[in-house]
Amino acid sequence: MSALTEHEAPRAPERERGLVRLSGRQIRFLALVRRECNRFMKIKRQTVGAPLLETFLYISVFGAALGSRIHTLHGYRYVVFVIPGLIMMAWAMNAFTNNASSILQQKFQRSIDDQLSSPASPLELLLAFSLGGFLRGGTVAVLTFAASSVLVDLPVDHVLVLLAGLFFVGFFFSQLGVLVGVRAEQFDDVAVYQQFVLMPLIFLGGVFYSATLLPQPFETLTHINPVYYMIGIVRYGFLDYSDVNVALALLVLALATGALFTVNLRLFLRGYRLRA
Amino acid sequence: MRVQWSAVMALQIEDLVKRYPTGTEALKGVSLSIPQGDFFGLLGPNGAGKSTLIHCTTGLASATSGSIRVFGHDAITHYEQARLAVGLAPQDLNLDWFLTVEETLDYHGGYFGMARRDRRERCRELLEAFSLTDKRTERTRTLSGGMKRRLILARALMHRPRLLILDEPTAGVDVELRLELWQYVQRINAEGTTILLTTHYLEEAEQLCDHIAFINGGEIVAQGTSGELAARYGVVSLEDAYLELVGRKELSRAHLAAEEAV
Repeated sequence: MSALTEHEAPRAPERERGLVRLSGRQIRFLALVRRECNRFMKIKRQTVGAPLLETFLYISVFGAALGSRIHTLHGYRYVVFVIPGLIMMAWAMNAFTNNASSILQQKFQRSIDDQLSSPASPLELLLAFSLGGFLRGGTVAVLTFAASSVLVDLPVDHVLVLLAGLFFVGFFFSQLGVLVGVRAEQFDDVAVYQQFVLMPLIFLGGVFYSATLLPQPFETLTHINPVYYMIGIVRYGFLDYSDVNVALALLVLALATGALFTVNLRLFLRGYRLRA
Repeated sequence: MRVQWSAVMALQIEDLVKRYPTGTEALKGVSLSIPQGDFFGLLGPNGAGKSTLIHCTTGLASATSGSIRVFGHDAITHYEQARLAVGLAPQDLNLDWFLTVEETLDYHGGYFGMARRDRRERCRELLEAFSLTDKRTERTRTLSGGMKRRLILARALMHRPRLLILDEPTAGVDVELRLELWQYVQRINAEGTTILLTTHYLEEAEQLCDHIAFINGGEIVAQGTSGELAARYGVVSLEDAYLELVGRKELSRAHLAAEEAV
């Protein structure tokens, strides 16, 4: 039993052996992120498979069924016009759902205490929880893009705008998921945000149509929906077409993401609904 | 052979106050010192403040005021060093359902910055020591209550803490596992790990602990060896001293025996 207790020096922040040498802090952060990824990969049929199927069904329905009646929108085949919004929606919804569910489930089991009582700082914890959803959303979005590219000829006209747009969309919804997960006290709380706030915003934000085709006052109302601008950025990245001022939308999105991250960091520093 | 220690304090708490937003004052200026290498028992009725004190020490609760030092490191301002030195086996079986037994230990080691090879070796040692090797690939939710309790103790020891906090570790545990668990804990204490134990089993505390503190209503009301505490309350056992503390001396076995004799 002596092996149980050689703790003369509480070992740890040493170096990870192998090709890359990591500090104790880096090992800790990677462990926190790995845990988040491990969770969604263990239930990948639900967390990756189901969203992929859902997106595939959207493409089938809107591409094959509606697409046969609506030939082009702003010069693009209808299905091609819709896919950028579907990719954005996949990233956003998965980033949100993953983080909200993961944090609530760990709070519910109290297994989150293992991370909270570790030497990890509030910033490390927040980033790790955020990255879990970000990476899950990214995985689903990349797979959706790959599958779509096989089915239709999908251009990528502004790769930097696209990457920046998707990064901020993913990170924004990751933060939103963290916020809801931290605040939630029961699973119903997460479902309410998901079904009654996010889904309507995303569906009415122009994923499946162009706001310019809407009659008044719906066109104007669409302009107060933040998701409308996110779809505009992503669609511009793919198709070189957008209803919105892309530079301004990207700037506002970056500021909104930063503001949400700051709010979350303050909550983590206070231990809001995490520490007693 | 018991390891001899200097007067370094494993845990030093001064004037610790914890007030919840509801206004409830769970800790009312608690001061406590636990020397390195000690086996220290913290006893008190439910709601006395034991778990709150532990949570403040491990960062699961934020102290309202006061100071907590773990091996000289401030647990509030320099929590990284303080937490590296503490292993917590909580009262609740708070295992992550998504992880296997092996992953539970591996991630915990990762959270404490242990390198991969070190984690792997330590994991193997602990799985063997706690008879969990055969279960290493099983998800934690499939384990029996006793196995979960073993895993929680193994997890607390994973990063080789110098201070092990056991919050009611034998609640709901069968006799066999309880005895096995105390053998482990006594051994690691003899090897130098400081132990802070809360339990409702007073005979165990009397047998195991070098020093004991009674906490009630958020205050430390008495501390010393079990003999000193019994003497302080003018009784013969720790159990009777405890019953005096909670105002239920009519439940004392000595009292009941005397009544039966009459």
